[in-house]
Amino acid sequence: MILDVKDLFCGYGGPDVVQGVSFSLAEGERLCVLGPNGCGKTTLLRAIAGLLPRRGQVLLDGADAACLPRRALARKVALMSQLAPVYFSYTVYETVMLGRYPHRKGGLLDRDSDADRSAVRESLERVGLWQARDRAVTELSGGQLQRVFLARVFAQDPEVILLDEPTNHLDLKYQVELTESLRAWTARPGRGAVGVFHDISLALVFADRVLLMQDGQVRYLGPAAALDRDLLGRVYGMDVAGYMRATLKRWE
Amino acid sequence: MALLALAAVLALTAGAALGSVPIPPGDILAILANRLFGSPLPPAMGPGYPAMVMDMRLPRVALAFLTGAALAMSGTVMQSVLQNPLASPFGLGVSSGAGLGAAVVIVTGLAAGAAGTVILPAVSLVCALGTAGLVLWFAGQLDRGAGGVTIVLIGMTASLFFNAIMDLLATLSPAYAQRIGLWQLGSFSMREWSAVWVLLPVTAAGLVFFFGHARALDVMTFGQEQAQAMGVDLRRTRGRLIVAVSLLAGSSVAFVGIIGFIDLIAPHVARRFFGASHRRVLPASALIGGTFMVLCDLAARTLVPPREIPIGSITALLGAPFFLYVYFTGRRRGRL
Repeated sequence: MILDVKDLFCGYGGPDVVQGVSFSLAEGERLCVLGPNGCGKTTLLRAIAGLLPRRGQVLLDGADAACLPRRALARKVALMSQLAPVYFSYTVYETVMLGRYPHRKGGLLDRDSDADRSAVRESLERVGLWQARDRAVTELSGGQLQRVFLARVFAQDPEVILLDEPTNHLDLKYQVELTESLRAWTARPGRGAVGVFHDISLALVFADRVLLMQDGQVRYLGPAAALDRDLLGRVYGMDVAGYMRATLKRWE
Repeated sequence: MALLALAAVLALTAGAALGSVPIPPGDILAILANRLFGSPLPPAMGPGYPAMVMDMRLPRVALAFLTGAALAMSGTVMQSVLQNPLASPFGLGVSSGAGLGAAVVIVTGLAAGAAGTVILPAVSLVCALGTAGLVLWFAGQLDRGAGGVTIVLIGMTASLFFNAIMDLLATLSPAYAQRIGLWQLGSFSMREWSAVWVLLPVTAAGLVFFFGHARALDVMTFGQEQAQAMGVDLRRTRGRLIVAVSLLAGSSVAFVGIIGFIDLIAPHVARRFFGASHRRVLPASALIGGTFMVLCDLAARTLVPPREIPIGSITALLGAPFFLYVYFTGRRRGRL
């Protein structure tokens, strides 16, 4: 298992938002976290990434993540947060190059290595933005910026990518392309991804397995194909499957 | 960058050459050569020139350049650390803290006499550091993550609060009001080489220190959560950088008083011409800040001779419209 989460509790000082979540991620696997607003999906990702104080265990390749220094942790786990505004006019290339930060030695004489440069180029080509590498990120649309940040996560070259609603701001074509490029990425040896999605149909296209959350607890963990529609409907408080079918019917 | 360095040299030369008595740049070079290498002075030179250049003009332009560079770098780092293009050491309360310390020293009469030349800078530097520590501590109490916005808000509050106390002190002790007022607007008059010899290593060390953190600063501009997820030990790195900023900004305030706007605008100019990467922005903003300060000081003492306009007024007069320009063009493009 490249990632093991055991009995994780986490919150923001008040009552725990994530209450005893356990799951594991195998090599090459894509897990999607589903659940209604406020059920603790984002908090779960942030806790795994080590951004919040937590109880319980997070194991990476069997080693306790809490014992890793930040840089070492960032070489194993990357988090793509929900889109935040950018204030400073870095170029697309510079922004993606920052993903190499945990791989650098640092210091005064630090230069981009050949490995850094080829990782950045490959990442930008994966998201189709190599041609736009000299543009300022402040001039990009939300969707383009989202792809830049995905490329930065690729350049960070972790074992596990955590994605928090990566397809927000993307039109349908790029949503599909993003899930495809993630699929290609996780096919490389020793990789895996955990994604939080709002769009349930896209989540089911992206994921091998589903973790369904409600009020901070796991309601279902298993193959995406075996997700019970009634359970999904109860958790979301509406007939999700019926709604999607009805929507499709209107097109036919 | 080479052009910028050239502009800095030209500004320094102009700063040394122009004044109540203009001195040709050739003579300045000759005087420098005479001091450094013992070469003879040209016989045609005015008799007072060497003393004027060495004791008045040069220390003054050197000090102006160094404080400009130090403030500009502090501003650059502050804006990145707090992910806020409007942040500055001023906004963190560091400058006002240092100023208040100085005002207290002035009012209590400790600033008078020879000891004052040491006590005044020392106390204001300690107050600058103390204010930074207080603001960070307070922000940490309010909000466990001590977010950038929290720090900016607390810093602004501290800044206004300390300024108000300074005004109060000035009102209550009219005898010292003028001196406090002068401090609040900054001045390079009556400055000696000793200040330069303190600020030069501090500023150089600051540049090297910040340059070593250039990539971490780059990462931090994208937000605290992202920075941490990308491997930056946020609390420790940010703490170190803010202490360094306070030292740098505090020591320049300690010698010349509060001079605003350079710390805010120099980073913006540098980014506009050199992009956002700190490996370029840090040296560029230092050069821009230094050059701009020398030119402002030149304007301050030559526009209405023999009177001297406070340097803080000049930087604000030029800085305020520029600030609005940056703010509104930035907002139109959705950048701020």
